[in-house]
Amino acid sequence: MSAHNNSLMPSFRRPPSCVAIRRAPNYQIDLAALLDETLREFDLKVQGISVLLKPNFVEPDPQGVINTHPALVAAARECFLRMGARSVIVAEGPGHERDTEGILETNRLRHYLGPLAGKFVDLNLDDVRLVPTRTRASGVKELYLPRTVLEAGFVVSMPKLKTHHWAGVTLSLKNMFGIVPGNCYGWPKNALHWAGLTQSILDINSTVRPDFAIVDGIVGMEGNGPLQGDAKPCGLLVAGNDPVAVDATCARIMGLVPERIDYLAQAGLLLGHLKRENIRELGEAPESVRTCFAVLDEFKRLRSEHAHS
Amino acid sequence: MPERSPENTLGGQPLLERVCVPVLLGAQNADGGWGYRNGGQSAVEPTSWVLLALKEVEESTSREVEKPRTVQLLNFSTPQLLNSFNAGVRWLRESQLSNGSWPSFAGQPRGCWVTAAASLALYTHRDSPDRVARGLHWLVETWPVEGRLWRRIGAKLLRRDRVVRMDLSLRGWSWTPGTASWVEPTSCALIAFHHIPQELHPRGAVRRRRLAERMLYDRMCPGGGWNSGNPLVYGAAGVPRIGPTVWALLALQDYRDRPETRGSLDWLEQAYSQIQGPGSLALAHLCLLLYNRPVPALEPSLAALNSNNQFLGDTLVAAWAAMALGGIPRWLSPEIRG
Repeated sequence: MSAHNNSLMPSFRRPPSCVAIRRAPNYQIDLAALLDETLREFDLKVQGISVLLKPNFVEPDPQGVINTHPALVAAARECFLRMGARSVIVAEGPGHERDTEGILETNRLRHYLGPLAGKFVDLNLDDVRLVPTRTRASGVKELYLPRTVLEAGFVVSMPKLKTHHWAGVTLSLKNMFGIVPGNCYGWPKNALHWAGLTQSILDINSTVRPDFAIVDGIVGMEGNGPLQGDAKPCGLLVAGNDPVAVDATCARIMGLVPERIDYLAQAGLLLGHLKRENIRELGEAPESVRTCFAVLDEFKRLRSEHAHS
Repeated sequence: MPERSPENTLGGQPLLERVCVPVLLGAQNADGGWGYRNGGQSAVEPTSWVLLALKEVEESTSREVEKPRTVQLLNFSTPQLLNSFNAGVRWLRESQLSNGSWPSFAGQPRGCWVTAAASLALYTHRDSPDRVARGLHWLVETWPVEGRLWRRIGAKLLRRDRVVRMDLSLRGWSWTPGTASWVEPTSCALIAFHHIPQELHPRGAVRRRRLAERMLYDRMCPGGGWNSGNPLVYGAAGVPRIGPTVWALLALQDYRDRPETRGSLDWLEQAYSQIQGPGSLALAHLCLLLYNRPVPALEPSLAALNSNNQFLGDTLVAAWAAMALGGIPRWLSPEIRG
């Protein structure tokens, strides 16, 4: 089970992480080729394994600025199948909206993947198992989690590059909120908000730490994200084998200081690398692609000096 | 109840008979309950809605036996349905917790929002009025937490009113205990109280209902319609969504002349043609029927959506589709109320 292969390890004992930044000007390019080239740099062991792709599908999004773009999801599916994965399932449990099929159809996922039966699992409606959390930051000792996630051999978090009006940013760690099943916690998964957003993000990711992350930064969102912000075209894909390192790198690209983002700072203690010296960067350097994101007043303290200048 | 018309059939068989009923009957587990998907663990919410849907199907079938047949009769027998009902009702009865609530899945220790649907299903099957009353009692006794005095003081001190706009003194029902009020669980509870007769209501039910109705109007998006329950965040108006709007309108049918209700119906009517999810389409159709708004025939659109992804195997969607294809179900009928 993916959930138990990794996770908690102090930074000084963890080997360096690897994050790739690639330019991708739009969704019409050959994303599968770009992703294939990128993934092969990581020597991922997915042969014969069931892979679960967890995109960020939140709401019906006809403008394509809220959700992970389906072209990228389809490209990732194709790549992992090419790499010998036994199966590749796309799975998501939207946080506010019960009509998952409506979201998928508005998002045109079927257009890219073909009929979704057998390829997509609604995690909000999946069978569940009670699992002890591996950290207790929120005080929650056990979580009901979907069987499909717990049985996956390799979990890939696929968020969109966005600001978030409660957490500062929403990237590969926050995206894992979507694995928590609505059929036990509701729409939204309000029990976790009451337990503490930052703390819940840590507990979920310590219990099911994604094995890999691919961030859709081709068009991101700035300002009052994750739903009502403005589109932010960045033309980037960010991928890596450590979700904390990927999120920290994304924050740097957005002109934010990862150490100032509460949940990232805490995740950097045990879940992955936050410091740049522990992250091997492939492709573009973050400063060469930095695109400062507008943030709400509450989050201006997260900005780096570069962003101010 | 609208009769099935020839244009409501595809391939010689109506969708109800061709898809919905076989899916529902075929998805029943050996323990008597239904999962969210065929073969999934039995869960209270799908079991309740499937029981409600099959009851409607059974009643409309009984009525059709007595009148000239314009379409082929549903291809299953009443004893088969009755066996299915009995096993489902038994499963539902056994999953009730000692405090009267129902959890999402049997064996879980805490009750939640599904208590409203379970109470409604048991009542509709004329089973265990004492259990129904205990379910309603739990609903009346279980308060969401946001309106507690110290929470309201905390929200004032933290200037939360700058972030979200809502009156925290108005409370409905939460998804799970210890959390805040949201539109859908509040609406489901109100629907249960609306349909189940008052002799089964506990003391305090009237006050809870009135407060919850006010809470729903408070959480309406500016301009009409509802989302999950955040009408305004950081000054930005929330975008209404089909599901919450339908549930809220179903719960507020006693207030059909209020401008907010009419405005929300207008929004729903306009949004109807853009609906791409079969569950939302079925519910929106029911809602517009209930309010006597013009609505196009459901079957062709629903059949087209079913051909996309076979409803993703979602039992709830099949149940809601079955109900919507049959017209206004008894649990929503304005003539029958608690």
